[in-house]
Amino acid sequence: MDASVLLALRDPAGIPFYPVVFQALYILTWALHAAFVLLALGSMGLSLYGTFKQKDDQRWKILTPHLIQTGKISVSLLIVLGVAPLLFTQVIYDPNWYTTNALSGMWIFIFIYALVVGYMMFYWFYYANKAKDGGGKMIGMISFAILVFAGILMHNFAVTSIMPNEWMNMYAPNGVVDNSGWTFNIDIIRLAFMVSLSLPVVGIFLQNYSRFVSTREDFSKDLIDYTASFGTRIASIGLLISAVLFVLWMYTIGYLMHPVIIATIAGVLVLLFMVMTNKNSYITTGVLVVVALLISGVRELIRYDLMMGLGYNIYDYPVNFEIPSITMFLLTFLIMGGVGVAYLLTMAWKVGKSQGIFDGSKDKAVNTLGNYTLGIMSLWMVVFFGWGMTILFSNIL
Amino acid sequence: MDIIGQFPLFYFPEYGSAWMMGVTGTIHILASHTSVGAAMLFAFLAYKAYKEDRTDLYPYMKKYGMFLLIFSYVIGSITGPGIWYTATAASPRGISALIHNFVWVWATEWVFFVYEVIGVFALVYFMNKIDKKTHLKLTFTFALASVGTLALIIGIISFMMWPGTEAYYTTGSASDAFFGTNTFPHMFLRIGFMIMMSGVIGLVISSAMRKENEALSNELSRKMGFVSLLGGFVTMFFFMWYMGTLPDNAHAVFNITKESIIQNRIILAILFSLYFLIAIIKPKVINVPIASAMIAVILIAGLWPGEKLRESMRKPYVAGQYIYSNQIISRDVPGKGIKSELPIIAEKGLLQVNPFVPENLKVITADNKLEAGKLLARMSCSNCHSLETTGKFRPLKERLTGMDKEAIKSILYAIGAGGMSYMPSLKLPEHEYDALAEYLASQKY
Repeated sequence: MDASVLLALRDPAGIPFYPVVFQALYILTWALHAAFVLLALGSMGLSLYGTFKQKDDQRWKILTPHLIQTGKISVSLLIVLGVAPLLFTQVIYDPNWYTTNALSGMWIFIFIYALVVGYMMFYWFYYANKAKDGGGKMIGMISFAILVFAGILMHNFAVTSIMPNEWMNMYAPNGVVDNSGWTFNIDIIRLAFMVSLSLPVVGIFLQNYSRFVSTREDFSKDLIDYTASFGTRIASIGLLISAVLFVLWMYTIGYLMHPVIIATIAGVLVLLFMVMTNKNSYITTGVLVVVALLISGVRELIRYDLMMGLGYNIYDYPVNFEIPSITMFLLTFLIMGGVGVAYLLTMAWKVGKSQGIFDGSKDKAVNTLGNYTLGIMSLWMVVFFGWGMTILFSNIL
Repeated sequence: MDIIGQFPLFYFPEYGSAWMMGVTGTIHILASHTSVGAAMLFAFLAYKAYKEDRTDLYPYMKKYGMFLLIFSYVIGSITGPGIWYTATAASPRGISALIHNFVWVWATEWVFFVYEVIGVFALVYFMNKIDKKTHLKLTFTFALASVGTLALIIGIISFMMWPGTEAYYTTGSASDAFFGTNTFPHMFLRIGFMIMMSGVIGLVISSAMRKENEALSNELSRKMGFVSLLGGFVTMFFFMWYMGTLPDNAHAVFNITKESIIQNRIILAILFSLYFLIAIIKPKVINVPIASAMIAVILIAGLWPGEKLRESMRKPYVAGQYIYSNQIISRDVPGKGIKSELPIIAEKGLLQVNPFVPENLKVITADNKLEAGKLLARMSCSNCHSLETTGKFRPLKERLTGMDKEAIKSILYAIGAGGMSYMPSLKLPEHEYDALAEYLASQKY
């Protein structure tokens, strides 16, 4: 695709801040989104395995509903966390994103409703399994298959978006315009690598689960030991598979010796060592986050290089600075988001650690964080209305 | 090179692609408005339960919360980005304009959204696991976060209708674009509807509890009746104010079907007032099938036509009154350095300036004239009109019945000269007018 076309496809309004900031936010938020995609995939898959074992195995009787619940919450989180990279990618790579969406319009529509149906069926599975041990197998499997299909569609959008040289052939093969929106592309090695990561993610999750419930008296030592060793086994095998697929993927696209790739491989090896020794899975999770950021960076590196090669440099995107709204975002993100999410997670952690009712009103951290969250949100509302009224009055009076 | 930033065109046969956005949008509005309304209702119920030590209210909140998780948070959280996706496929430059003006506003909404999604799980699943005071505080923050998501999206969807003042065009500022004259009336109109929806959904849950606890079921049904009546009144009140803040082109479209719209709204207002009054006076009459059917009535007879109307009233624009529905920038926005694309299209033609038109259709010849005309029709008309003789969505057949090429051409000239306020003033070179008219005439509508 000609550089002049790619540049013309940029939005004429320009972007409201330095492009590198959007790029960094994209890498960060995609990694968060992907973490929950992989956890959802791993925990849902494992919960289906659990439905076959939970009738006879006491450990899976407890573990299966917990995995279903993890899958259920992870899907919600992957959706909400997926909104952010979706937003940032179309700010700086709008030619890629919008062309892809138009070329795959039908798949876009199917994607949305596949997600709705697949996720609702997972709730059905949750209730069926709650009603009877081993219940809802078929519903669970169908739901899982639909959600995996939605994931493959998302992979299609990502792959099509980095094929600008093929866009014209996809849209008008042999000069005949095709408006049907059925464009579909797949990159098997890349997809297999991404899917394989669900194994180490769910394995590390099981190590964390074991560690977390080890302080609870109502969980047996047998279950605690089993989940730790099972998690170690899955995560180790999964990491080896992922590493092979990653090397293969990088080799086929000629990136194997790139410093970021070498750093990623090194990160995976460190992770493998930490998983196998399982000294402190919480620290392992921290390293996993770093590896996820590196993988997100690799994806961005491939796209950035490709677009640069075609004459499209995101750093040259015209900037129209927009100070009030970025100020609002940064303050909301850092202060309200930081305090608010800390409040919810602290509460969740302490509820999980407690047997019986947790009295948050007597817990200093939860109480203080709650008061701050409430205060900050109320102040936010006051500022919002004050800001709006000031703008409106100055524009209409 | 004289090209404009137009993307490939996605067209869904018989309906066009805009309806996909409409369907997803309507479902999303039902789910998202319910969730914000329910968040406010939860705060009210939790406060009452805490102050009056009403432990019996918690099971109701729990049941409502579970319903909310499945109904609002599964459907709402997927169809929200879903509107984005389908709008991108159907109207890429419209959504791009919104993104590039409001990316930080959307990013801020995302922060509230994250809090809301984690919060709803905490609210529902910790109900029996934390003390009442902490739960009350959680419901208050949850309600504020939910209203925050509305506060942040409302200026963006109001801007889709119009910026409200001329300031935005000069400054290019997101604040001027966001806080237009119809932003606040629009916000409170939706808050009213959200309150009403929380009551309407609440009636399904309260009536489902009748077997377990009839007295509580009746008490809650009455409360939901009052809540819904209040919400309905707020909706109607701010609807009047909202209508007064719309631009002339919106009124021009509204006036075409004004009488039937008003008649529809009056019938709905009477029907639902009666329904809410019955809930207050004779709560026993309301059962789950009736309460569920009323939700379907709102979806089919209220929201769907309402959303279609809102979309129609924006015509010929899709965002900020500077981008036409057919993805062409129609005016300068000096504050952003945006230039109108109408002059270059009038001079060179759409086929020449669109980078995704294949080479064999760039120049019209006797051999490709009908094919070029077909592509021009899709590029210029299909965002709002289905083109087939059996088309369903604002079909051209209803507008061009029995017309020959010259008659169609005269209509195209009138549109190009700006003769119809709700149609884009798209002026084409003569050879493109000719090919377009020839293709449309060949359809024999």
